[in-house]
Amino acid sequence: MSAVDETAFYSTMSGSFKPGEWRSASGKGVTVAIIDSGIDVRHPDLMSKVMESVEARIENKKVVFDPSNTGDSAGHGTACAGIVSKIAPEASFASIKVLGAGGLGDGQAFLAGLEYAIKKRYRLINLSLGTTKPQFFAPLHDLLDRAYQAGCIVVAAANNLPQPSFPSVFSSSLISVVKSDRSDPFNFGFHYGEVIELTAPGVNVRTAWLNGGYRNLTGNSFACPHIVGIIALLLERYPNLTPFQVKSALYAIARENQENALEPPPFPNK
Amino acid sequence: MLYFERGLIKSFVSSKNLTMPEQENHKGDRFRRMIETIDVANLLTEPLTNSINNLLVSSAADLTSREASVLVRDGDRGDLRFLTAIGEVAEMLYGVRVPAGKGIAGFVFSSGQPMAVADVGEESSFYAEIDKKTGYSTQTILATPLRHSGEIIGVLEYVNRTGMPPFEPFSPEEMDKAAFYGEAIASLVNAYESAKVLRELGDEVLSGDQKEGLIELREWLGNLRDSAEHREMMDLAILLREIAGRGKPEREMCRGVLEAILGFSDSKSETSFLG
Repeated sequence: MSAVDETAFYSTMSGSFKPGEWRSASGKGVTVAIIDSGIDVRHPDLMSKVMESVEARIENKKVVFDPSNTGDSAGHGTACAGIVSKIAPEASFASIKVLGAGGLGDGQAFLAGLEYAIKKRYRLINLSLGTTKPQFFAPLHDLLDRAYQAGCIVVAAANNLPQPSFPSVFSSSLISVVKSDRSDPFNFGFHYGEVIELTAPGVNVRTAWLNGGYRNLTGNSFACPHIVGIIALLLERYPNLTPFQVKSALYAIARENQENALEPPPFPNK
Repeated sequence: MLYFERGLIKSFVSSKNLTMPEQENHKGDRFRRMIETIDVANLLTEPLTNSINNLLVSSAADLTSREASVLVRDGDRGDLRFLTAIGEVAEMLYGVRVPAGKGIAGFVFSSGQPMAVADVGEESSFYAEIDKKTGYSTQTILATPLRHSGEIIGVLEYVNRTGMPPFEPFSPEEMDKAAFYGEAIASLVNAYESAKVLRELGDEVLSGDQKEGLIELREWLGNLRDSAEHREMMDLAILLREIAGRGKPEREMCRGVLEAILGFSDSKSETSFLG
């Protein structure tokens, strides 16, 4: 896509926009909700960036959220926040810990976490989780529609498994990401018409881990926060973007990437 | 084929169902059929552990991985335990428990997301504890969830590579392969776990507990298992297992014959495990 086309895209939004200007943003003023295993708030890359930490527990058969000081039980949430932070160093985080709490089923836990994030109106939500349980299809669909209507941008990781997983297979109301073996976070791909439209780095990604450490990780889980980081930059520059406009912007940027690239666009590495 | 809902089984053998069969014929019939099913399940699934191990061995060879293991759900709180493993410290892993959400296996189990970590050796948490216990050095790991009917029932892990360190990280292609092996292993694990639940519930009924009424029940079960009809059914199950292991043409022929017999006798058969 040429600069003219990108300008045409930006002109559909109110205000005055400059193509590519978002690339110099740092995510300032944007809070990213990480629905995961918690975040290690003492990690050097994330220190002072976690504005809220809550943890799910069950009370009278309902999931409730309490303030949490238990950190990260697995390293995964810290890894996701670390990736976002690398791209958008001034973004802040809300850690919604739904994994690692005993007695919570996989689908039940992250549904509750997603609902919590939507109720708190977090504009940008990282969901590197999924479920294949058919009973969660309808409730997740409803929740994602609520997110869309509330202006919350939900980014979900596809899974690597032969079965479809929810919510990554829902195309309309969220942004789904699959890993590629590229390393440049700005060189992501958009494959319109595919079930999972976006590709981003997710192979041997060096990122924050438990106890102040770093790991090289592979998985769609780690492609998802790359796109979240990019959106954080966009939201700093254009805070009023709707989920639809964000998706359109990602499409425009990916097209531009593909036209400028010497090598072919990154294909999904499922 | 041997997928049983654990809750259903538990309610089936719950105390209200353990009333005297002679006094409540309907419940007695249901209970008798369940005992038959337990015995058949045991007969049919006995070779499953070997099959899981064989699949672990061949998949690990395909992924050039040195160690592989299967962890399964342990209780209702998301804990895991090692069901089986291959490799130099396999024996030490049997039965080791992983608390809910702990480590890479715990995360993969609770999130449903497969992942690979290239440098686990630097970790000072969960794997260090396991390594300390086994004397092994976990350096690179690939973990993928085991799913059956949409439910996560465990985790399949591949650890380190053949040859000398430093080890190559697991690739995305190997992650895909592991997911496909995971599908096959999950079916076997589910059958094994279902049979185990049935066997344990049967054992619980048949031994130890001296609650009032159970002595008579155990006597009744003993008589049931000694009966010619029950023995014939077990012989049939063994025969079926034998045929199932022969090959696809034999299985198809067997299925055709069995379906013809079922069609002929309609609802006359009292067996509960073929339908």
